[in-house]
Amino acid sequence: MTPSLRRLWDHYRSASPVTIALLALVLGLVVGAVIIVATTPAILDAWRGAVHSWTGPGHALKVTFDNVGAAYRSIFTGSIVDPPQFWHSVTTGQNWTASLTPLSETFTYATPLVIASIAVGITFQTGLFNIGANGQAILGGVAGVAVATLVHLPMALHLPLTLLAGIAGGVVGGAIPGLLKAYTGAHEVIVTLMFNYVASYFMLFCLLSTPLQLPNQTNAISRTMPGGTQLAPLFGTASGLRVNYGIVVALAVTVFALWLLNRSSIGFEFRVTGANPHAARASGINARRTLVTSFLISGGLAGLAGVTWVAGTTHYIDQNFLQGSAGIGFTAITVSLLGRNRPIGIVWGSLLFAALEVGGSNMQANTGIPYDLATVIQSAIVIFVATPVLVKEIFRLRALRAESVKVATAGWGL
Amino acid sequence: MTTVTADTPTVRPPLGRTQAIGWFVVVVGLVTVFGMGVGTGSAPHSTLTFTPIDVSHGAPWHLGNLTLPTEWTLVLLGALIVALGAEVLVRRLVKGAMVRVGLMAIVFLVAVLVWASRQPGPSPVPFINVTAILVGSAAITMILIYGSLSGILCERAGVVNIAIEGQFLGGYLVGEMIDSATNNWLLATLGGLVIGGLMGWLLAFLAIRYLSDQIIVGVVIVTMFTGLASYFNSWVLTPYPNLNNGNIASNLAIPGLMKIPIIGPTFFNETGYFYLMMALVGLVSFALFKTRWGLRVRAVGEQPQAAASVGISVERIRYVNVILGGAVAGIGGVAFAAIQGQFTPSITSGFGYIALAAMIFGRWRPSGAVAACTLFGVSAYLAYNLQSYQVPISTEILLMFPYLITIAVSAGLVGRVRPPAADGIPYSRE
Repeated sequence: MTPSLRRLWDHYRSASPVTIALLALVLGLVVGAVIIVATTPAILDAWRGAVHSWTGPGHALKVTFDNVGAAYRSIFTGSIVDPPQFWHSVTTGQNWTASLTPLSETFTYATPLVIASIAVGITFQTGLFNIGANGQAILGGVAGVAVATLVHLPMALHLPLTLLAGIAGGVVGGAIPGLLKAYTGAHEVIVTLMFNYVASYFMLFCLLSTPLQLPNQTNAISRTMPGGTQLAPLFGTASGLRVNYGIVVALAVTVFALWLLNRSSIGFEFRVTGANPHAARASGINARRTLVTSFLISGGLAGLAGVTWVAGTTHYIDQNFLQGSAGIGFTAITVSLLGRNRPIGIVWGSLLFAALEVGGSNMQANTGIPYDLATVIQSAIVIFVATPVLVKEIFRLRALRAESVKVATAGWGL
Repeated sequence: MTTVTADTPTVRPPLGRTQAIGWFVVVVGLVTVFGMGVGTGSAPHSTLTFTPIDVSHGAPWHLGNLTLPTEWTLVLLGALIVALGAEVLVRRLVKGAMVRVGLMAIVFLVAVLVWASRQPGPSPVPFINVTAILVGSAAITMILIYGSLSGILCERAGVVNIAIEGQFLGGYLVGEMIDSATNNWLLATLGGLVIGGLMGWLLAFLAIRYLSDQIIVGVVIVTMFTGLASYFNSWVLTPYPNLNNGNIASNLAIPGLMKIPIIGPTFFNETGYFYLMMALVGLVSFALFKTRWGLRVRAVGEQPQAAASVGISVERIRYVNVILGGAVAGIGGVAFAAIQGQFTPSITSGFGYIALAAMIFGRWRPSGAVAACTLFGVSAYLAYNLQSYQVPISTEILLMFPYLITIAVSAGLVGRVRPPAADGIPYSRE
């Protein structure tokens, strides 16, 4: 190797944050593969056959690679591009909808995820845990649907007001842990964890009460948002692609977060408080105000994420809204950690995790392997990103240039 | 850590907050007296019964029904709440204030129950079954105590275990599968112990060896196992429903003692997990506060540097305790399965987090945790139970109650509890 190539190679062998993230992705996929192998009957049967009939591992290995390969191929083709389909469109100029649907879905899913993750990232940067982003997003979605379906306004006012209602809903959800922590010292982790459940039941309560519920229904399902309050598809309804103007909202939020964290004095106070609360207090930063502001902004953005999801894709909510694996507020925590709590990193992290989610659904459709595997892979990735030393040891990387994700905490800090 | 370092001012709760809490309790009492009590009139009566629902191991000695005039009972219960509030105000209670709030919550819920079950009235259930309520509360309380004990074991050694919820879920899933396959709860318990211990090891490995942030790692572990549990549910349990047959463990009645009315069915006609839980509470209390091992654990949780300087291996103590804690929570998950039956992905519904809050409320002591878990368990069960009386509050609002009371209690606690000084702080020898 020439010296310059060697230097480049050394550069990548040293553990920069990007290298760590990519290797964490590899390790996450390995964890996923192990789980597929351990739980898929076809693979287990093949290995059992290999052991019993002394035929050697050839066939069993082939079955293993076929199954895992099919699963990961579906994740790729379902979230980024299906090469044969794409080639067909390029050569014949037809069926672009089918070719672009995977990317469109990934961006559709990434849109609220970016917003929610930035919401979580802002509190992390302040040294606070907002584990209640999911509850705040639920409140945002409920408030948005309420304003969209119950108020009658000209469209130019109605859509902004719907989004604002979403923000307001989230702000309420963020104010509760923020104010409680500031004025009573209640630990925000406990409060936000509990609040997620309260928000879910509150949503059910709203969906089952007359104003919000779809008329003549007994199920928990809301009215549909009128067309004027929906975030329209980016390429028109006729295109069949779901990617919508929510992307503009997400971009605006990213720019806002970049400005807030890097340029504004509030953001500076956030970061100083997060890096060293004692120094922050010593330099005259009002700890209580910083804490409450951080939670209000975070809650507002989480609420915006909720309303963006409803207004952009589903246009109504039911009892499954942001429940279980669909809880973007929980995914947002992992995305924020993956993106090291910085807006640009979060955008990349959201795209990756959105691709895993969307691809996971495709995997379930094609191979039957449940899409929840995506959640497991995501969590594994984040565990590896949060412990870069572990990744460095596994891959025998050189000097560590990536610090572990730091959040200033001291246990319960009561 | 405001309480131990010299450079930060100690957060003392201003007396105003104690007064606010006191007045709040008084107002709730007055609402009970005047909102529910006065005005129901002298005609309605509420009936208490004491016959347990499960009499498969023989019924306790019979107790007759007790019929109370609703109005006067409510006035009395309301007066009791007012007295609790007045005590907080007059004695300027700081430490005990939240305990009074907890008692208030229970008395208030009992009052609502008395009011809701009045006859003639709208309730389809014409009585309150005191024994059934206690038995149901004991079940929830047991689960929470397992979680709290797990938290105590970890946090006394200085590691925050927020993954209790995940360990519950793991224990539940594994326990349910093993019992369904083998019809043997003992094997299921071992399985839960192993999976919980492994999850504890994962947390310990990341938190102790790699000094990761414990709350972050804990939350991510919960996320991971929530995903894994959903995955297992659709990929394994749905095609093989005989791995999720939902059998519950049978009760082991203690002869003689189980005949005592009310107390017998509650404490002496339980599953083995209940007796195991009681034994664990005693064992952990004794081990933590009366043995050399306990002294070392507490030293590691308070001052790891000092502990290390006298030759205690901080890492080893922490590893052992976090794995033990995980195992206890794993058994708790199996116990959950043993009383609840079939596994569904969101079955643990935040009980692991409530257990964590109960541990804080109980000041990181087993005895305190038992009291706090009882409070949460009884109030949760009463809130769930109110649904069957068709009270004019919607089900969804009632279901919020356990979470709301947890938020309220953690809001009232600051300055009144002190965690182990090194709790949550990674320890490195350098």
